[in-house]
Amino acid sequence: MRESRQPDIVYRPRGRPPGTRPGAHRGRESGGLGTFRDQVPFLRLPDARRIDVRATLRDPFEGTVVRRFEARTPIEVWALVDLSASMRFSGEADRGVLASDFCRGLAASATRIGDPFGLIGCDGAMREDVFLPASRARSQVAAVSRRLADAACTGDRADGFLAAARRLTGRPKMVFLVSDFRWPEPLIAEVFAALSLHDLVPVVLGDTAEAEGLPEWGLLELDDLEGAGRRVVFMRPALRRRWIAREAARAESLRRIATAHGRPPFRLAGRFDPDAVSRHLLGT
Amino acid sequence: MTDALVRLSADHPLLLWLLPLALLPLLASAQRATPVASIAAGPPDGLSRAVGVVVRLGGILALAGLILALSGPYRRGETLTRTGIGAQVSILIDRSGSMNETFAGRQPSGAEESKAAASRRLLAAFVGSRTHDQFAVTAFSTAPMLVVPMTDRHDAVRAAIAAIDRPGLDYTNIARGLAMGLSQFAAASPSTSRALLLVSDGAAVIDPRVQETLRAAFTRLRPNLYWLFLRTKGSPSISDRPQGEDTPQAAPERHLDLFFKSLRTPYRAFEAEGAEAVADAITQIERLERDPIPYTEQRPRRDLAGFAYGMALIGLLILVLAKLGEADLRRTGSSDAAPNRSLPVRLAA
Repeated sequence: MRESRQPDIVYRPRGRPPGTRPGAHRGRESGGLGTFRDQVPFLRLPDARRIDVRATLRDPFEGTVVRRFEARTPIEVWALVDLSASMRFSGEADRGVLASDFCRGLAASATRIGDPFGLIGCDGAMREDVFLPASRARSQVAAVSRRLADAACTGDRADGFLAAARRLTGRPKMVFLVSDFRWPEPLIAEVFAALSLHDLVPVVLGDTAEAEGLPEWGLLELDDLEGAGRRVVFMRPALRRRWIAREAARAESLRRIATAHGRPPFRLAGRFDPDAVSRHLLGT
Repeated sequence: MTDALVRLSADHPLLLWLLPLALLPLLASAQRATPVASIAAGPPDGLSRAVGVVVRLGGILALAGLILALSGPYRRGETLTRTGIGAQVSILIDRSGSMNETFAGRQPSGAEESKAAASRRLLAAFVGSRTHDQFAVTAFSTAPMLVVPMTDRHDAVRAAIAAIDRPGLDYTNIARGLAMGLSQFAAASPSTSRALLLVSDGAAVIDPRVQETLRAAFTRLRPNLYWLFLRTKGSPSISDRPQGEDTPQAAPERHLDLFFKSLRTPYRAFEAEGAEAVADAITQIERLERDPIPYTEQRPRRDLAGFAYGMALIGLLILVLAKLGEADLRRTGSSDAAPNRSLPVRLAA
């Protein structure tokens, strides 16, 4: 099976998540097991099991010293998936399949290390039929894949992300924003601001067919998937250069907004490669 | 312009009800649509918009042209009345037997030409030297013969004149010939300049009762009268008084001349005793008859289906070019994507 062979997405939350439940990430609290953190006086942490004998003997003031360890806590991982009609785009790869692959991989990786995974689909509003509450169950992978396969992408807006942001309250979570971000720029800024409390990872679904893969010459009749009409484009090298420059400018403005609210965006194009996601997440 | 539109017509006008179909290219496009996530991704481009409009217009043109062509359009023929320089000339030619003789009064032999042949040669040059002249040709001997009615088809007139050197016959009945020659003038506009050219080598007595009728006709039509008198050598001239009694029977030429002079219409007599003299006379007549004349021009029905098919062809060419120039995002993108694509294959292997 593909899932078993696929490597996990390795992620490290920004900051230290609070919480007392045992999990996989370095937590804010100190706990019994895990990585050594520091030594504190016995009176501060009266835990006789953790008395550091060597440090106690070495203390000239004869105080008793207790070792403290980092607690490892889980963090909730949420995938917010854009389900507007533009996700039906299929160039080099099918955008919907790519998003579904990514969410499945993320769900598998999260649930394997005990992090709850939740899924929210959004278009003009929050899509309740593509909502999965966060759960650590391993069956979440199958549920995600089913939900996304059944979801019809018809909307022509992405305002549902604001509603989704209101639903994601409470402790900081890791939020993966999976979309092609073909939104009006104010909406992008608004959504990022609404989610900036969380560890926000924008995943931009791109396609080489939308920029570098454009033909040098030819007549294209573009048909907007979100119903913005049709347009004839006479491709020629000059226009292609302008087009690619425009796409680059759009990516740059998205990167600027995203970096202001967290991490730079990860570009998911062509094929879902979990290692590339891991490298991006550990590097930023 | 509106006049030209009025004359447009079609063989199957009902087919023209299909013309609104030509607007279909505004609703649907023959081009393969390339679905894209956002149409705003491409930069705005004037040339592309122009190409789009041209392709759309090409579709409209092709459909409209085909429908028009199927309906069989044509422009109705018409008769135009224009004004040119020229005159209505009624040529009245004597076909009596004496016209077959030469100016010397003999049967022509060898290089000699008869009076009829000479007048034929010179009149043929007269006809057609000016485009807008109208001619009628009447021949007369004992009875008048209408050869060609008043027309501006100079070919027909020339053919009629070419026929006047056929051997003539019988006598000269000038009164009935004049009547028929005059009847060729249609009741056209009064400004029309009319000329009656009488070519004869003799004259005859005009009955006084007929004289009155002719006089009335001349007064009504007021033609310029030219008498080209082909005088045989030795025969009496127009102005010669006979030695005996001065009666019409004795000198019909002189009395015909007197009758013409009494008509109070512009009249000139040319007395020609040879081919050169005839040519001079005709040149003079030609010079005198220079007046504006309304003439009609026939425009034949014109089939416009060819234009419509041409229009459709242009439209179809545009469409075919657009179709040939079609590009596909997915296919052309594969050159860049090829290395990426080979990866999953290797994994699966």
